[in-house]
Amino acid sequence: MIRFLLKRLALTLPTFFALMFVTFVMIRLVPGDPIEVRRGERGISPERLEQLRHEMGLDQPIWKQFVDYVWAILHGDFGTSIVSKTPILHEFATLFPATLELTFCAMIFAIVLGIPAGVIAASRRGGVYDQSLMGLALTGYSMPIFWWGLILILVMSNTLHLTPVSGRVDLIKFYYEPVTNFMLIDSLLSGQKGAFWDALHHLILPTIVLGTVPLAVIARMTRSAMLEVLEEDYVRTAKAKGLSTYRIIGVHALRNALIPVVTVIGLQIGGLLAGAVLTETIFSWPGVGKWLVESIGRRDYPALQGGIMLISTVVIMVNLIVDLLYGLINPRIRHAK
Amino acid sequence: MPSDIAAAAPAAPTAPPGPLTAFWRAFRENRGAVAGLIVVVTILLVAIFAGVIAPHDPIEQYKGFTKLPPFWAEGSDPRFLLGTDAVGRDMLSRLMYGARVSLFIGIAVMAVSMVFGIALGLVAAFFGGIVDVLIIRIMDLVMAIPSLVLAILIIAIIGPNLTNTIIAVTIVGLPRYVRLVRASALTELTKDYVTAAKVAGVRPWRLMTVSVLPNCLAPLIVQAALGLSDAILEAAGLGFLGLGAQPPTPEWGAMLADTRDLMMSHPWVMAFPGLSILTTVLAINLMGDGLRDALDPRLRRS
Repeated sequence: MIRFLLKRLALTLPTFFALMFVTFVMIRLVPGDPIEVRRGERGISPERLEQLRHEMGLDQPIWKQFVDYVWAILHGDFGTSIVSKTPILHEFATLFPATLELTFCAMIFAIVLGIPAGVIAASRRGGVYDQSLMGLALTGYSMPIFWWGLILILVMSNTLHLTPVSGRVDLIKFYYEPVTNFMLIDSLLSGQKGAFWDALHHLILPTIVLGTVPLAVIARMTRSAMLEVLEEDYVRTAKAKGLSTYRIIGVHALRNALIPVVTVIGLQIGGLLAGAVLTETIFSWPGVGKWLVESIGRRDYPALQGGIMLISTVVIMVNLIVDLLYGLINPRIRHAK
Repeated sequence: MPSDIAAAAPAAPTAPPGPLTAFWRAFRENRGAVAGLIVVVTILLVAIFAGVIAPHDPIEQYKGFTKLPPFWAEGSDPRFLLGTDAVGRDMLSRLMYGARVSLFIGIAVMAVSMVFGIALGLVAAFFGGIVDVLIIRIMDLVMAIPSLVLAILIIAIIGPNLTNTIIAVTIVGLPRYVRLVRASALTELTKDYVTAAKVAGVRPWRLMTVSVLPNCLAPLIVQAALGLSDAILEAAGLGFLGLGAQPPTPEWGAMLADTRDLMMSHPWVMAFPGLSILTTVLAINLMGDGLRDALDPRLRRS
């Protein structure tokens, strides 16, 4: 197991170096220099411009900038945002919990509804339940989520007044210092009455919007995995033994069907952490996706570089963990070289 | 194909059907897939003949006819069946031309991805070694960066317009094609017919394109259908963020973004472009599912 882990870790190293190189090069290809962008707003004297360029190392030769950049990253320094003047790692650390909280809720939503939906569909193959559930799943899979978000806001928030439109918590009613940056935990820690419910309310729509595609994928995957498993010999044996349908499906079949489902869930988490851009934009959710998109507009090179590096690292790590988990729940591939 | 004719004739039910006939029979059984195919063909026809059937010019602004509701609502104008947008452009015409934009982006992405995916995948599988490692590592790298962020970054470098949307969406989706072609080619390469061809002295180029490639096509066709719907969704997302086709091009995603301020007072302005995206993508996915079931012999009901 340890050897497998080390080998997998070693395999990701070249990817990291390539990632550093690519982000570095690509970001320098974006037209417009960050100083110029700001000069357009205020007007800076040429001396001050030179000084700023020097401070940010932008007057160094490009290869020197790259070496400095790699060296800094290896020391855990992802640079400083040009706009907010805070270290990228710090900025990321305050924004990432928002994305993580949203992703976590979306994933729970998708798993809790998706697996039962898939199991029900598979156990009534070809029936009305199967067809309508799978029809819904395919619709969810085909949904332009930015439109889905707008529709939900229109119906749930503006017409029925059930949920708030945007943000993480009502800042007029509740105020507390962030401790963990997970709003659900912070609101509980604050001890203010109703804060937790308010935070939870704010999470509902973004969760549904972000969770819709994974829900559809999980339901479809669960169904096809179940169908495959239900034809196995051991299921027939279980039936012959006279076990109840509930026990056969719930215990014997589901356990084995879950193996591919877990992989899909893992891949979805990686995608969600990264792909929350649209959801965060629609709901003004102060997470990593929205921050990255805004950084592009602000020409905040370090924020972009560091942000993409960090989020990609998280995605690579999640995929690695999924690989390891896969070995854990599926002993057949555990010892494969 | 003679076998097709034999299979089609009712007099020879025992003759094995040709591959196309067998495929069509399996595909036809799936009602959803057939419905998807019909919708896709309809949308395609609308896109092709938008210039003929659209009642108005999609970018002409009719002063005094702004924010008209669709025909069933009170205060509508029969000249604008689905109403007009904030600046008085005809919704129906914009949707029709929008089909052209979206399908063009989707099909272009699919075609370019197929060409590059097949080329890179086959090269990786055939040459192996350093070439293979290099190609696969680059594809892994593309996949490690969040797709929409990468697309936005590419757009930021090369500028937002229709062509660049195609480029960005293609780059982001390419790894799936390459990996798929490589994986199927590697499987095929271990088979006896390849060894036989090699022994017979078939040149690598011919072996790649004539012997191996046709046998990798089934999964690739399915991937192309799913890739088409992904590309349309992704391009609409970019359009929604203002990074796709630029105004006044009637692109569905951009049309949605325009309506955010109007959403409360005139919800239909928002409803139609979204519904168009959903319908198109759903129909393509239904068709893709049917393709997969029909092309995958393991799932084909005999």
